[in-house]
Amino acid sequence: MERSFTEEVKSLRLGTGDEFVGEGILAVTKALLQSGVSYVGGYQGAPISHLIDVLSDAKDLLDELGVHLETNASEAAAAAMLGASINYPIRGAVAWKSTVGTNVASDALANLSSAGVRGGALIVIGEDYGEGSSIMQERSHAFAMKSQIWLLDPRPNLATIVSMVEHGFQLSEASSTPVMLELRIRACHVHGSFQTRDNQRPAVSTYAQVQAPEFDYGRIVLPPSSYVQEKHKVEVRWPNAIAYVRDHHLNEVFPGDITELGILCQGGMYNATIRSLQQLGLADAFGHSRIPIYCMNVTYPLIPEEITTFCAGRTHVLVIEEGQPAFIEEAILAALRRADINGSIVHGKDVLPMAGEYTGETVLAGMLRFVQAAAPTGLNLDDIQSRYSRLTAPKARASELLGGPVPTRPPGFCVGCPERPVFSAMKLIERDSGAFHISADIGCHLFSTLPPFNIGNTVLGYGLGLASNAAIDPLFGRRTVTVMGDGGFWHNGLTSGIANSMFNRDDGILVIMNNGYTSATGTQHIPSSPHQPDNKMTGMSLRKALEGVGVKWVKTVTTYKVSQMKETLAEAMSSTYAGLKVIIAESECQLEKQRRLRPLVNALLARGQRVIRTRFGVDEDTCSGDHSCIRLSGCPSLTIRESSDPLKVDPVAHVNNGCVGCSLCGEVAHAAVLCPSFYRAEVVQNPGWWDRLQWLLNRAVISVLQRA
Amino acid sequence: MSPLPERPLTVLIAALGGEGGGVLADWLVAAATRLHFPVQSTSIPGVAQRTGATTYYLEIYPVNRSELGDKQPVLALTPSPGNVDLMVASELIEAGRAMQNGFVSPERTTLVASTHRIYTTLEKMQMGDGRIDGERIMRAADALARKALLFDMAALAQQSGTVISAVLFGAMAGSGVLPLARAVCEEVIRASGKGVEASLRGFELGWRHATGEAQQPSPEAIKRWAAHPHERVRATLPGEVQRIAEEGAARTLDFQNARYAALYLDRVEAVAKLDREQGGGAGGYRLTLETARFLALWMCYEDVIRVADLKTRRSRVERVRAEVQAKANEPVHIVEYLKPGVEEIAAILPARLGHALESWAKQRGLRLQKGMYIRTTGIVGFLLMRFLATLRPLRRSSLRYGIEQQTIERWLEAIHAAAPLGLGLALEIALLGRLIKGYGDTYARGRGNFLRIMDTLVAPTLPMSESERREAIRNAREAALADPEGRKLEGSLSSVGVTPLPPRAKPLQFMRKPTIARPGAPAAGAGSAPRS
Repeated sequence: MERSFTEEVKSLRLGTGDEFVGEGILAVTKALLQSGVSYVGGYQGAPISHLIDVLSDAKDLLDELGVHLETNASEAAAAAMLGASINYPIRGAVAWKSTVGTNVASDALANLSSAGVRGGALIVIGEDYGEGSSIMQERSHAFAMKSQIWLLDPRPNLATIVSMVEHGFQLSEASSTPVMLELRIRACHVHGSFQTRDNQRPAVSTYAQVQAPEFDYGRIVLPPSSYVQEKHKVEVRWPNAIAYVRDHHLNEVFPGDITELGILCQGGMYNATIRSLQQLGLADAFGHSRIPIYCMNVTYPLIPEEITTFCAGRTHVLVIEEGQPAFIEEAILAALRRADINGSIVHGKDVLPMAGEYTGETVLAGMLRFVQAAAPTGLNLDDIQSRYSRLTAPKARASELLGGPVPTRPPGFCVGCPERPVFSAMKLIERDSGAFHISADIGCHLFSTLPPFNIGNTVLGYGLGLASNAAIDPLFGRRTVTVMGDGGFWHNGLTSGIANSMFNRDDGILVIMNNGYTSATGTQHIPSSPHQPDNKMTGMSLRKALEGVGVKWVKTVTTYKVSQMKETLAEAMSSTYAGLKVIIAESECQLEKQRRLRPLVNALLARGQRVIRTRFGVDEDTCSGDHSCIRLSGCPSLTIRESSDPLKVDPVAHVNNGCVGCSLCGEVAHAAVLCPSFYRAEVVQNPGWWDRLQWLLNRAVISVLQRA
Repeated sequence: MSPLPERPLTVLIAALGGEGGGVLADWLVAAATRLHFPVQSTSIPGVAQRTGATTYYLEIYPVNRSELGDKQPVLALTPSPGNVDLMVASELIEAGRAMQNGFVSPERTTLVASTHRIYTTLEKMQMGDGRIDGERIMRAADALARKALLFDMAALAQQSGTVISAVLFGAMAGSGVLPLARAVCEEVIRASGKGVEASLRGFELGWRHATGEAQQPSPEAIKRWAAHPHERVRATLPGEVQRIAEEGAARTLDFQNARYAALYLDRVEAVAKLDREQGGGAGGYRLTLETARFLALWMCYEDVIRVADLKTRRSRVERVRAEVQAKANEPVHIVEYLKPGVEEIAAILPARLGHALESWAKQRGLRLQKGMYIRTTGIVGFLLMRFLATLRPLRRSSLRYGIEQQTIERWLEAIHAAAPLGLGLALEIALLGRLIKGYGDTYARGRGNFLRIMDTLVAPTLPMSESERREAIRNAREAALADPEGRKLEGSLSSVGVTPLPPRAKPLQFMRKPTIARPGAPAAGAGSAPRS
């Protein structure tokens, strides 16, 4: 794993009266233990990876409490695990990145919420929306509505988040309904504090197991139960949930003196709302707002009577709801109309953008427009406008001074990444024979679509690369290529991609990036990881799995051998073999490799033992500054610098000290016949007597013939 | 009791993934926590940690919790424009990005930024020079920030053997904006327990440079002017071009011999004479200067002999040792990645023989490139390379030598012909010399582009005024440097009326399911031709 959570694990042991200081997602983890969960699972992905990672490091604590931790193979598997809470009074929680994870999980979620739960079932979703997101921009809200799952969207401070986890289980049990806890990216990573309570040993645990199965046909999603379940949802579970939310005051009202106006916001939007009011001079640092606020920590279901009570008597209200469609705003409009409250003008998506993240800047602009439109008595609008102008003027001024946008800096392959060479090879094939269609997949390898490679034509979902190529291949004039990571392979690619392709006798080329981890999410282990902890030795391998489903044409290539990779790809493209051709592109994730090797090397050096440090370089004398090497690599370590040659005007290529000696730049120079500028330098650290003797002898001979 | 601050202190840190921005944020949180200040930090790690631009945002309410009673400040999770007290950037264009996003305001913002550059892929991958103007960002920072503290923190980090976050922390503390005393900052570094001494050294340097106690020396000149004063150059050439011409004369001497250097100066002097006659003195003899520059580079083209010579010099071994930061007692082995083919061998053979070899290989479609790994620090590898270098006297009769001199003469003639029409036109032709560079395909492409422009725009085939021609040549040169595929060049040429060449045909090497016969399908077409 990318990070070790040894320190954080300690804070999971804190008890009543202690203070937890740390990250939002870890506070949720602690709250789960305080709520007496019996089992936890999930699938990694930013921004919730740390929840599962920290629990993986907390094996001892979980064993003491008797909590079962499952590293689920996919979000669907995690959601299905919640089935344990259908028949038995067992609390469980799972976590994933949303909406992608919720998409994968939705079959199990729909069945779960139809059957209903006895034990509290909590789904922690990291809403990957806005800045820092890596997926399509959608809302998880729709899933809550269609399957009837309650949706919590707490104010982003640790105390509220933790309290909503605890209420979430009770709400789930009070209404027999699973509950989602939605945390946005920054809320997952927010660093704050809260007062802890003792962890609760679960009533049902690996020590106190269920002894007898319970059969209840009413819990099975088949007619006639399924019809009864739908009625039960709206007639029993819904009113119970409304009552719980109302009676426990999960939503909050903050009063203010400008009573003509009101703001209704999602809990997660509360801090941005307060900040925009502060900036316009309408709130103080402690959140005392002049405009009253109704903060919805529960965004589904809404509580109509709370909404009508809050809005009644106000001329203008503003709904601050991030994303689209505007489910909440429309529900509020409907609630007011049904209650025959027609005096309040409802603003929302008219002053705020329909799509996109509600950053501080966005909410501020919307708040200004709302206040201007509402123009409450006794408020100096000129003052508010001038505050706004002062805040926003520097941006326009900067644009003048800079004269044009600065270049973007998207994420990319790390130094020495083993996936980069595969795309170098593809680029070389493109150069010789024109572009070909590539169905891409989810994972670090999708960075191939960015400069300098710009490789990959479509991406349809995790592990779905090969499936997404199923119609392209027969309808395309040339052979096409699919890229899939080993993470995607085990997530579902083996079945939805490879089994599907074999079953249909498709003629595809599949490149599987076998780097050993789900690297994009923080290098978590997968079934075929090379360095499994002892308790996870599986013996599972890509090759065995491929052979198991009948794939005959399988070649394994070490990715850094660019020429060989290029030849193997060309061979697959021109082969007369009709059927799936799989190239396993193999080399360990460099992040993980360095993390493993660095301490070993340091230990060797400290003991005075011989270690060869390899890195690459570019001869400035022979580099002509064309940068072909960069266009075929993009390695952060392969960069440019001003040429020291007074005659040369273009910057020359240069390998900086970040180089890990992966050899790609040299191999590319070879495979593409670029130039003679690349060299490999082997520095012998702690040289032995033989090294020194050899060195002296060589130098003695060479120095005689050497030019200065 | 003093009145409570109206708002929290806001800190935005712009960094690159993997630079330790998270550690820096943790230090700030820890320092504020020690002082019992309410503090909150957020970040958007996600995949941004994979070398992309990312930010960390902190808010600190600088009042001891005990004075707040049950009041809790509401701290925001996202930064807002015009609302940042301390903007920190770990690299220069990240500071530019912060300004672009409105996070640097003259009313509030102290900007602490490192001036070193980590080039973006878009800047690095250009065929010429794609770097953006860093000076402009620094001027904008000085104009826009309430106070701008700009210095090279990467250099200070290296100097103190730590990462940039430690230097940034010191600079932030030294900026006077943070409500965190220096001693507290240093305590949290000590408490973090990893690389403490180096971090403290970095912190100290950051602090001293931010407070003005220390200043960085102005950066060393990058250009290595190697040549000594040259009598003939001093006697015959204008002052403005002497340095470049001396460098060129020394380079051509090093490349071949004194006669070759004399040939170089003959050529430069001829252009200088023309330049002077046309009144080029007023413009600083730019025509002569640029011709002298590109002529020298061109005349010292890199053939196998030259590469072997450069790779075996003592100075080069020393440079590599410095580059890879080898200690004095550590042997360094250097392995060259070379892949010579028929072209490279033919290039150094006598012209007739070289031609014969080339056409023989061409007929058979052979390039016979051989990937070699040569250890020039070993005796065998060194002797092999040294042997190649000693072939230097044979160069003057070689195939490549003849071709290069011919093309150089053509280029110089075009400059001579154009100068009377306008020095500007002649200068544009001289600058075409920039297209000639590289090896193998890169060289062939650059040379092809050069000849294409010479044939279409420089040769007066199209009716154009001097200024139109000048413009067209400049555009064509820029287009040729903007696109390795050459399509932009053809686009630029066609915009002034040159019929574009068709795109280079690429062989179709892909087979369609050859063994699956589909009933009723038409006979296999071109697409199923087997690979040649």
